[in-house]
Amino acid sequence: MFSTSVGLVRLVPIALVASIGLSSIGCSRPKAVRGEDVEGLDDQAMGTGLDRRDLQKLLHENMTALDTSAVVKRWDKEEMPQLAVLPFKNETSEHIDSALDALISDVETTLINAGHVSVISLENQQSLVAEIKRQQGEAFDQGKAAAYGRQLGVKYIITGKVFTTDEKFDNERRVQYYLFMQVLEVETGQILFQNKAALTKAIL
Amino acid sequence: MIISRRHPAAGELRPSSWHSLALAVALVTSGVGCAGHSAHTAEARSALDAGNAAGALESYNKELKVKSGADLPEKMSAKNALYVLDRSMIQQQLAAFELSSRDLEYADKQVEMLDLKRSTLDDIGKYMFSEDTGPYKAPPYEKLLINTMNMVNYLERHQLSGAKVEARRFSILQDYLERSEYVAPSMAAPGAYLAGFIFEKSGDPNLALRYYDEALAYGDFKSLLEPVQRLTAGITPRGENIPAFLNKYGAKAAIAPEAAAAPSASASSAEPAGEGSPPPAPTPDTPAELLVVISYGRVPAKIARRIPIGLALTWGAIYLSPAMNNQAGELAAQGLVTWVNYADLEETKRAYSTPSALIDGAYVTLEAALSVETEARAAYEKQKGQMVAAAITRTVTRFLAGQGARAAAQGATNDSTVGMLVSLGTQLALTAADTPDTRSWSTLPGRLAVARVVLPPGEHKIELAAQGIKRQATIKLAPGGWDVVTLTVLR
Repeated sequence: MFSTSVGLVRLVPIALVASIGLSSIGCSRPKAVRGEDVEGLDDQAMGTGLDRRDLQKLLHENMTALDTSAVVKRWDKEEMPQLAVLPFKNETSEHIDSALDALISDVETTLINAGHVSVISLENQQSLVAEIKRQQGEAFDQGKAAAYGRQLGVKYIITGKVFTTDEKFDNERRVQYYLFMQVLEVETGQILFQNKAALTKAIL
Repeated sequence: MIISRRHPAAGELRPSSWHSLALAVALVTSGVGCAGHSAHTAEARSALDAGNAAGALESYNKELKVKSGADLPEKMSAKNALYVLDRSMIQQQLAAFELSSRDLEYADKQVEMLDLKRSTLDDIGKYMFSEDTGPYKAPPYEKLLINTMNMVNYLERHQLSGAKVEARRFSILQDYLERSEYVAPSMAAPGAYLAGFIFEKSGDPNLALRYYDEALAYGDFKSLLEPVQRLTAGITPRGENIPAFLNKYGAKAAIAPEAAAAPSASASSAEPAGEGSPPPAPTPDTPAELLVVISYGRVPAKIARRIPIGLALTWGAIYLSPAMNNQAGELAAQGLVTWVNYADLEETKRAYSTPSALIDGAYVTLEAALSVETEARAAYEKQKGQMVAAAITRTVTRFLAGQGARAAAQGATNDSTVGMLVSLGTQLALTAADTPDTRSWSTLPGRLAVARVVLPPGEHKIELAAQGIKRQATIKLAPGGWDVVTLTVLR
């Protein structure tokens, strides 16, 4: 609030110029670009959701842990046992379902290329995927995961969930993501591996 | 003002004076056609009043420069974010729930970013140029209702996963708002009610009870009696409101459809399920549940209004500095400043009829979940004094800027006519740039009502009506299942 007219009169010309300057800022038109043409485009966070780089980081951490785990040694003793990757459960405050779908393909690709297991993809079984996702939304029974494994005829399944701790304070918002991954034996329902990878996104 | 330098010949303008005039002209021209939000949305609101939701959608698409409701604007801006927010409710009325969700999520992110971006400079701008300077700052009830209305969209589509995301976002926002500003329990009631339902159906009874407890802070939702009794069976009820609620209504029957076919609410009572544990497998007779949400009417839109400065001073004086108060009073007394522009709430002549819900031909009781209109009016009244004070300051600023420009031009040209013209030009420019902030979520439903009924499994005919518009649906409930049927009428 301004207490004197002198202050106001002095501010007016500055304010006039500022308003014209500000009004012209919005005039640049958006243009389409390719990621490889703009240096660092993929490095910049556009929001608090999960982007490709985030997924790669979370996946890398989990797959590195898996690679050195006892379950891989077990797989090496069995001859290419069959495994399926079930949809990951979204327990976050962000709509990241499409990112989680992409994550399944990434996990499958990494496993196929590592050559420890034979991967049965759910890509052609969309009705089953839809059923699993519906079940995950409702009261999800971990025993059901093993039942899906039996339905698919696989020996092992990989499943997981992403959850967040989300805070908002003053002009900042921080979302901490945790990707929790498990390997289950279908026959026994026993958890043979589990790991948690974390990353943080924020608006500052 | 003392000008000691050489006076140019009469009628001759110095370069700086030309600049002032040019600035004034630029501002006048840039201000032309810069109507406020309410002017741009008037056509759509009229269409909604006439029951023409498709026409309203078309009108918003035109403003957004997109071909259909399936498209998002190419350019992200504060203005577009608000249009998309407005459009989301029209999509909900048209039962395009997926598109409504998409619009709400887009707007949610934008509104959050705009909120975080708002600076002191924007607040100064409100006192200097125009009330709608700077990004839009949504009031708490609007922010909370973004997630609430999107829970409705996800529940209609039976998608608990997406509904849970919205419920979590609602909680985060609620916590944040409670820390930073006052949030009346009424504002959070419908969101808490729906979040409780979502987590109950997701097999998380503890979280469901926490939300139901929050909803009960607003009032006694009798439709929550059955679920609260069922979820607390065998355990000591906790929470700030649940124990008192159960004491008050525990012995009475829960709300059920008047149709005798429906089993009593207590029939569905079961042992409390532990967190995350699956519910017991349903038998063919296990009752199912239906949630009805009716969103109807519309909050009053903000419109630009002019009032005499004397009246404005009675509302805004308390928020002005003594110097500005005196100055405004003096100018008003001399008749030099007479009118003040500000954003007021429209006086709606909307007649609210009681909404109704029929299940298999029998009426069920609807409970009022929230009068959004009351919240909108309360939020407006809270801001009104400051808004009017800013409007008075801008009016006085315009007058003083005109006087300053006049003295400068007159000194530069030695011609009083030029001085007067420059003064007029400056005042015109600032007047044109001054747009009362009529931005608001203008398609937000005015009222929300809910009903929750236990039904036998099988097919059921639902008929919902509000404000002269009906929706009929046939649902098939699985044993132990649930469904949600909604109606949105924005008139």
